Amino acid sequence: MSPSRRNPARDQVAIVGLGRSAYGRDRLGCTPGSLVLDAAIAAARDAGVGAADIDGICGSTVAAGYVQAALGIARVSWFSNPPSVIGNQIVAAVAAVNSGMCETALVYHNAYRMPFASRSAGRDPMRRRAMLGLAETRSAWGTGHAESGANSMFGANAYAAWAGRYLHDYGYERDTLGLIAINSRTNAASNDNAVYREPLTMQDYLAGRMVRDPLSVYDMDIPVDAADAFIITTTERARYLAQTPVLVHAATLGHTDYGIEEQLVDLDHAGQVVVAERLWAKSELTLADVDVFYPYEGFSNIALSWFENVGYCGRGEGGAFVRQHWVEDEQRILIHGRIPVNTHGGSLSEGGTQGAGHLYEACLQLRGTAGIRQVPGASVALVTPGGYYFNSQGFVLRRGA
Amino acid sequence: MTNDELLDAFPGVRLDQDNAAYYRGLLDGELLINRCDDCATWHFPARSACPRCWSRSVTPTAVAGTGTIVLLTMLHQGSRKEGADYTVGHPLVAVELDEQPGLRLGGTVLGVDPRTVQLGERVRIVIRRLEGRGPRVDFERMP
Ligand SMILES: [Zn+2]
Repeated sequence: MSPSRRNPARDQVAIVGLGRSAYGRDRLGCTPGSLVLDAAIAAARDAGVGAADIDGICGSTVAAGYVQAALGIARVSWFSNPPSVIGNQIVAAVAAVNSGMCETALVYHNAYRMPFASRSAGRDPMRRRAMLGLAETRSAWGTGHAESGANSMFGANAYAAWAGRYLHDYGYERDTLGLIAINSRTNAASNDNAVYREPLTMQDYLAGRMVRDPLSVYDMDIPVDAADAFIITTTERARYLAQTPVLVHAATLGHTDYGIEEQLVDLDHAGQVVVAERLWAKSELTLADVDVFYPYEGFSNIALSWFENVGYCGRGEGGAFVRQHWVEDEQRILIHGRIPVNTHGGSLSEGGTQGAGHLYEACLQLRGTAGIRQVPGASVALVTPGGYYFNSQGFVLRRGA
Repeated sequence: MTNDELLDAFPGVRLDQDNAAYYRGLLDGELLINRCDDCATWHFPARSACPRCWSRSVTPTAVAGTGTIVLLTMLHQGSRKEGADYTVGHPLVAVELDEQPGLRLGGTVLGVDPRTVQLGERVRIVIRRLEGRGPRVDFERMP
């Protein structure tokens, strides 16, 4: 079956409000709920909507019902809490708005440093208590893994193993992964929301503390306390709101039946392949129209695979492509000398929010309000959150009128 | 063995009716993988249907326990709960079992200098008992 080109939502739904908490590694006073409220209030104010205008709520781990009560959103006709990452929330909300299940949706995602993810978080007794009632591992999702730990090919361990396989199969060294990390850090220097902004040299990168070979501290996203929120409504309604709308031109999730880390037979069966096939089938814009590119790089090797899957190059050529489009004077990637990548610093330097930060930045660029890092004339963004197995997603976004 | 006894033998493992036979097998020193009674396809982790033909008749079946390392990472930090030693690095691998392409298990490699473990190596399973968590499957080099 060839991928469906049907896309009745094309350009009919818009992101009209952006809000976020500060991104931090030292914010001991916050909770997941308080972070989401920071972001949600900011997004609604940015859009110029109030509680009475919001009739749909869609978030990740913080319950929609919690946010509704906390913000006194009197009546909603639609709500949902799909699992992370951000594309799951956005796609659900776009579908809900386009189908009339609701008119204006509040969408959010937060990251929260749990005691196991960060030493300082581990010392915080309130964070240890925050584990109460949470399942120990992803096994609770029912995706198959019944165990985690040092002997399980699970989560970060598995991304490291796939990174090793990639370097081995295509003859790259670690400095290829380093280009992704350095690109993010260079761009983060012009983002005052980023948690790490000091320059990173290749020498620094190669000397980085090895955590899961071949991934070092510089190859893995930075745990932060943070939340991002988006207000989503019809493009029609957007005309009467405050901001330049960002139109959702095409959106898709992508999953194969190899949705467990070690059971993925090879990278040709990753969810990213499905994303690219479906996204371009649904889009009237092409890769040549893209002005800014946001490949998720929570593990540096994931971004190399996104370059390959969206069509910039073939399987195994991501490393060579990035090197070919590396601008030494700027210490970052400019595809064809023009298209910057992860202009905000990504999960590796702005902070790890599982793609929400990538989406937020893409919207800022398309609005033309990204400040000193604004890409002149940016009108089409390609945003690809997620990794290989169970959370690959893609968006073609365009600047609205 | 009752379900209560089985659950007590694997504290911290998300054991359920679909994967209980796998864990019962480990207690008996056997690696049991679900195999379809109708089309002979193997699948892991254990579920109640065959992913190839949708048969609901699947049987936990012993495997030869030999395979090839297809994924490898060396961990330099992490949980110490399972006796992992990070001084030179703790090897973590995925092994493709000989029974079927893509049929894979994760685990560590025992009894070797961790720095010498390589992709493509032939290994066989070892079922070892760990303090406080019940037996699990890991690997050793083929002699
Ligand atoms: Zn079958």
